Amino acid sequence: MSGKKPFDPYESIHKLSLLWEKQLNDFFYLLTDNKDVVKMSNIGTEFNSRYLDTFKKNQEALANVLNLPTKNDVSNVANLTIQAEEKIEALEEQIWNLQDSMKTQSKEIESVVEISKEIIKLTKQLKTELVKSKKEQVESKKLHAELQEMKFELSKLSNFKEEFEALKTLINKDKDAERELHGSGISK
Amino acid sequence: MATETPFKGLIPDVDYQKEMERWANVFKLLSEPEPRIGQTPRTEVWRKNKSVLWYYPAKQKKYEIPLFFVYSLFNKPYILDIDPKSSVIKKLTDMGYDVYLLDWGTPGYEDKKIGLDTYIEKYLKTAVKRAIRHSDVEEITLVGYCLGGTIASIYASIAEEPIKNLIVATVPIDFSTIVGPEKWAEGFKNGDFTIEHLLDVYGVVPPKYVEMMFRAVGSPIYFTNYTTLLNRAHDQRYVDKWRRMNKWTLDQVPFTGEAYKQLANDLMRDNKLVKGEFLVGNKKVDLSNIEANLFVISGSRDNLVLENQSKPIMDLVSSKDKTYLCVESGHVGLALSGMFAGIVDQWASSRSKQLSK
Repeated sequence: MSGKKPFDPYESIHKLSLLWEKQLNDFFYLLTDNKDVVKMSNIGTEFNSRYLDTFKKNQEALANVLNLPTKNDVSNVANLTIQAEEKIEALEEQIWNLQDSMKTQSKEIESVVEISKEIIKLTKQLKTELVKSKKEQVESKKLHAELQEMKFELSKLSNFKEEFEALKTLINKDKDAERELHGSGISK
Repeated sequence: MATETPFKGLIPDVDYQKEMERWANVFKLLSEPEPRIGQTPRTEVWRKNKSVLWYYPAKQKKYEIPLFFVYSLFNKPYILDIDPKSSVIKKLTDMGYDVYLLDWGTPGYEDKKIGLDTYIEKYLKTAVKRAIRHSDVEEITLVGYCLGGTIASIYASIAEEPIKNLIVATVPIDFSTIVGPEKWAEGFKNGDFTIEHLLDVYGVVPPKYVEMMFRAVGSPIYFTNYTTLLNRAHDQRYVDKWRRMNKWTLDQVPFTGEAYKQLANDLMRDNKLVKGEFLVGNKKVDLSNIEANLFVISGSRDNLVLENQSKPIMDLVSSKDKTYLCVESGHVGLALSGMFAGIVDQWASSRSKQLSK
């Protein structure tokens, strides 16, 4: 291929259009950017507004006679919808507040429940310990009675021992007397 | 055997492949339906009248504080999510931010009484409350673009809601300088040109008039967009971008009469926002009430909102942490190119409470 640049007029068209656009805009500003045009435009706008206003008023009057709704009527209805939307919004925000207070309350309740659970657990533990100690108390009472019984038995045994000792002394005395008697008989 | 044509030299060398692509694209552009916009997944959080609060969840949440976008009342906010490749919102959700967008909707005749104050008190305030509740956070970052930035700033100065950061881009605050033809601006300021009566009659400013107003300010005669397209029509990507931009530019929103009156009289003519005389309900708007961290972005090639219209906010607020940045961009280019996402992230990442992994 040759080093020749291919035909592309669009770049030139674009550059030319930029130039034209600028020149046309400058010309337009030159024509319109003056006080007279501003004042004339203001008069024109005011005239147009008055014409449209009158036209609208007549239209409203005619629509009223024909019993037809106008744009204003539709706009009033739309505003009622917006008012309803705002009321719902306000209610929704109040519900938010309620939700928030419910949330904090439920959190508080949760913590109370948590504490109660711990108290119940502790009470149960105490109850078990109480039963245990009661049992122990009964057992110790039993043991005490047994001990008392044993003591009584022991005291009984000591009486028996004393009696036995007295008997033993008596027997010994009898034996001595017998021996004395026997001894005198032999000597006679 | 080479043949010598008698017209050699007269017929220019044409890159047939390129020309075929160019005209195929032009044909497609004329015959195909409009491009799809706003493809980032979103859910509706709240709706009132025509306004909708959209929620764009983060792909993988990295920051606790969500971004709340407030766009201008003049245009549709889908410029922030115009193309999956350059969508500001998609980029931010990919970066780990939860994003909320308040779409003001398209007002009708019945909305003629909605002024800037109503938009702020009954729409923006409620939407911010909803976003805070929806995201279950304690603070929010407000991001305002163009007139949305002005509205966000006004709201931030009277807000009871916790606004941690305020980001405003290409925002008109000081209206002592009005962009446009000099005599018209003068006539507008001294009352030689008023459209109050016209606004009362129409109720809302029709979208065509809004478009004409913007044309009058910048370039009343405008056709170079078509010659640029023809010049670059062989480039499929450019054609796609052009179509989206063209759709957005022509897709104007009607402006409510009351809001327009406030904008024109209170802000533009009397410059009440800078003077601290603007009223929302019964509250005086004093920008010095803003204590949120502030980030202001201007475009050096912006011919709609000049740098000296945005910059004064830096001295009017009480914020201790405030940053001003002027980027090489036009008024819309910042959002259209998607570079806005990177700029926002760079500043907001350290101020949005990074979530621990």
